[in-house]
Amino acid sequence: MNKLFNRFLTSSRRQFLISSVAGSTTILFGMSSAHAVGRQVINLLNPSSPLVVPPNFHPTIWFTMEVNGRTTVHILKTEMGQHIGTTLAQIVAEELELAWEWVRIDYPEMTAEAQAAYGIQITGGSYSTHEMFDRLARSAAAARELIVETGAKLLDAETADCMARRSTVVDTVSENQITYSEILSSTAIEYKITEDDLSEVKLKPRENYKIIGRSMPALDIPEKINGKARFGIDAYVPNMVYGKIVPAPTRVGSTIKGIDDSAAKKIDGYITTLPLNFPIAVKTNAIPTALVIAENYPAAMRAANLVKVDWEVSGTSKISSQDILTEAKKLLTNRSKGLAFVRDGNIDRAKQDANQTLDASYITGLVAHASLEPQSALVQNVDGIWNVFAGCQAGHVVRLILSNFLKTTPDKIVVHPHYVGGGFGSRVYPMPIVLAAVAAQTLNRPVKVIFNREDDMGLEDPRTTTLQHLTALLSGNGNVIGLKHDVVAGWIGFELVNIPAVDNKGKIEALSYSGADHWYDIPNQHVTAFRNEFLESVMPLGAVRSVSNNYTVFAIESFLDEIAHNLKKDPLSVRLELLSGRGKNAGASPSKLYKHKFPLFFGIPGPAWKKWKFWPTYHASANVAGAKRLANVLRISTGHAGYGTRLLRKDTAHGIAVTAAEERGMPSFCACTAEVHVNRSSGEVFVRKLTVAIDVGLAVNPDGIRAQVEGSLLWGVSNSLFEELTVKNGKFVQNNFDKYSWQTMDNLPELDIQIVENGLYPCGVGEPATSVVGAAVANGIFNAVGIRIRKLPIRREDVLQALKA
Amino acid sequence: MSRLKVNGRSYSVNAAPDTPLLWVLREDLRLTGTKFGCGRGHCGCCTVHLNGEAMRSCQIRLGDVEGEIITTIEGLDARSDHPLQRAWVKEQVAQCGYCQSGQIMQAAALLADNPKPTDEEIITAMKFNLCRCMTYPRIKKAIQRASREIRNRNE
Ligand code: FES
Ligand code: FES
Repeated sequence: MNKLFNRFLTSSRRQFLISSVAGSTTILFGMSSAHAVGRQVINLLNPSSPLVVPPNFHPTIWFTMEVNGRTTVHILKTEMGQHIGTTLAQIVAEELELAWEWVRIDYPEMTAEAQAAYGIQITGGSYSTHEMFDRLARSAAAARELIVETGAKLLDAETADCMARRSTVVDTVSENQITYSEILSSTAIEYKITEDDLSEVKLKPRENYKIIGRSMPALDIPEKINGKARFGIDAYVPNMVYGKIVPAPTRVGSTIKGIDDSAAKKIDGYITTLPLNFPIAVKTNAIPTALVIAENYPAAMRAANLVKVDWEVSGTSKISSQDILTEAKKLLTNRSKGLAFVRDGNIDRAKQDANQTLDASYITGLVAHASLEPQSALVQNVDGIWNVFAGCQAGHVVRLILSNFLKTTPDKIVVHPHYVGGGFGSRVYPMPIVLAAVAAQTLNRPVKVIFNREDDMGLEDPRTTTLQHLTALLSGNGNVIGLKHDVVAGWIGFELVNIPAVDNKGKIEALSYSGADHWYDIPNQHVTAFRNEFLESVMPLGAVRSVSNNYTVFAIESFLDEIAHNLKKDPLSVRLELLSGRGKNAGASPSKLYKHKFPLFFGIPGPAWKKWKFWPTYHASANVAGAKRLANVLRISTGHAGYGTRLLRKDTAHGIAVTAAEERGMPSFCACTAEVHVNRSSGEVFVRKLTVAIDVGLAVNPDGIRAQVEGSLLWGVSNSLFEELTVKNGKFVQNNFDKYSWQTMDNLPELDIQIVENGLYPCGVGEPATSVVGAAVANGIFNAVGIRIRKLPIRREDVLQALKA
Repeated sequence: MSRLKVNGRSYSVNAAPDTPLLWVLREDLRLTGTKFGCGRGHCGCCTVHLNGEAMRSCQIRLGDVEGEIITTIEGLDARSDHPLQRAWVKEQVAQCGYCQSGQIMQAAALLADNPKPTDEEIITAMKFNLCRCMTYPRIKKAIQRASREIRNRNE
């Protein structure tokens, strides 16, 4: 026994406790104080001999290994189509050497305890894999070491001789083996992996990966083909009533003066109408709303048509899209409100040196999330605990926001995760949850609020419209020596993550300008950020798939083609010249691992965020080699597409563009060659094929990545050709899919996607490729028929007009 | 009281005759696989079979379908093993999954009618079923795969 003890103590730097579960002997290793680790139950067949049920092995919050051999990976991200659970489970399974068929996933409830243990759960920014990879891999590897040590003991073998393989520990000398299930049935391991373990643990070399890098079928798909998957809108509890809003006459600012529900009273099942004039009219949370309550949803819909609300209508009721653009133009003329986002080199000197300048302005419209599942929420109070049943991308933030509205503390709020029927940024805004919660508190009954499509679109938090102006300073020998980029954009309102302006004069919402800090080596650069507060006074704006990259990349990548044509150079060679990877564009050192300061990206309202744990370990090697990787994917994309060599039909051409979304700290380097055809008589634009290369660093699940890139690219096509919300009288004109149209199965481009890996560290793929399409298409149009479209979406009227000019 | 036949079972439902079938299925019968997307016939995620034909359940009134044979995604195949469902898994079609019940029901009606649709016929049948995750290329492939399987079986 002593020998064993010593061997373990010396073979392991850890002190941990292993106890036999047979009940008769307990072996203690290390200095842990002894306490019962198994649960004692009575053996009914032999009451004199108590059985001990071995506990599960739960060495970390990220997964639980069960004695039956199963491992459940706890997914703290929202599932909204990205199959994130499968990806994260693959990372765990790889380092823990699990047989894949023994892997399960679950989505833990979001409680105060979970938040204390897990930190904030936010799903967005394409961050999940990037954010979780290192932590999960290290936790799993540390657990593997524990299992191997324990297995070695049970096999009476040296730990050094043992290895893990397919949920089994194998003694390579004797070839004896023992399964994880057998290990955990006969031994209880009590140990919590520490931060020290994580930093010291040895990760597998990449070439030994067996599960990472394979296209494991998504674990959430089987229940999405037979109606069993539970989305937020499917939530049900007994005794619940339904809420349907009566929309306000303007997107924001209207308040309720009175309600006349006399006509609604004759509707069978109608209960009441709540005038919810929220005192906390916090933007993106909730605006004043009349909420019609009924015993069932059809009754609520009928009644909502009959309830008359007397509104105090706000000053935005006269505002239309054109006014928003006019205000944006004023900001650029006046210039006094510009904030320094990028200041490289000396732009004034460049101006003197320049032989020629080139100018262009670009406009992009409002884009809706338009998730197919309308927003909904069910809130139920059970014994003082508020239970929220809804799909949301930031459950713990919801708990915090809701505590304000319910006048309680966040620990009294539990969010039950549900599948989200399309996120794209839409589930950051918890308005239906707030409505359901306040109504449930008022009525003392569970309330389920369902937005119909008109409500959902009427309450959109769309992607901002933008106006951008670019000036290129060109030298006599055809080099780009300076670039000035002014971006007018409305802000989303994640205030706490704003960064100081370069000259420290003011703060900038980096999220709204990301992409303008591109990877081209241009010695003198100014990017100036203008905030469109006028737009923000008409509507709250939201993060919509690939966020600012959609407009900044559209402008820069269109403009680079304009520069190239002006210099009579090929747009491909101009880009490759500028993507030389010098200075800041070289990317980070591959060996550097650092912890990012919170908050990097998402803000938590109020000073309370300081109390909230958030610990993503961001790996600097995500952008190692920087611009060179962008050049690499550009060569792959153009090469694959036969750019410059393939014979294309009449009025058809290739256009190229690159993006490094979502941001410089986590870029998925992506290049697109779009084959575009223009019908000269109708002005219609057809995107025939997109040849795309994307360097994701490390591909955990290649087919899953492909699916996300397919979706992103078609989103990009849809955003570029079809989608625009317009404003009239302070509200959106388009309120359903007849007026807000988007890509269907008709006229799909062929997609050729090359996944590239530099092998260092994974970057996200849920969004980035969205942003590459607009400019590639606009550049293709120019190459096909010689017209320059500087506006998204690309309307056939605009194309026709330009063709005539 | 209205009598409904859904997925081979009979139900009596206490809802007004003008209630959209969609909400009867979802709320009264708690068959939530059929989804609400637009409520106006624009998106197709509420698609069910009415006497074998693909229909938008948000546009059908309860009173009009008494006694008709209604099939929802839950009743397409008792073991969720319809050739389309298998093809959907093979091609890893679903992303968020919200539109997929409707897509599968629409495709099932297409294949029942025309087991060997051309690309054009697939597009014509499917183009009013929206997918915001843009899984269209995979939907197309999965329909082609299922069509191949059905034909091989019948040969
Ligand atoms: S909900 Fe019926 S077609 Fe959209
Ligand atoms: S899979 Fe998300 S809407 Fe189709």
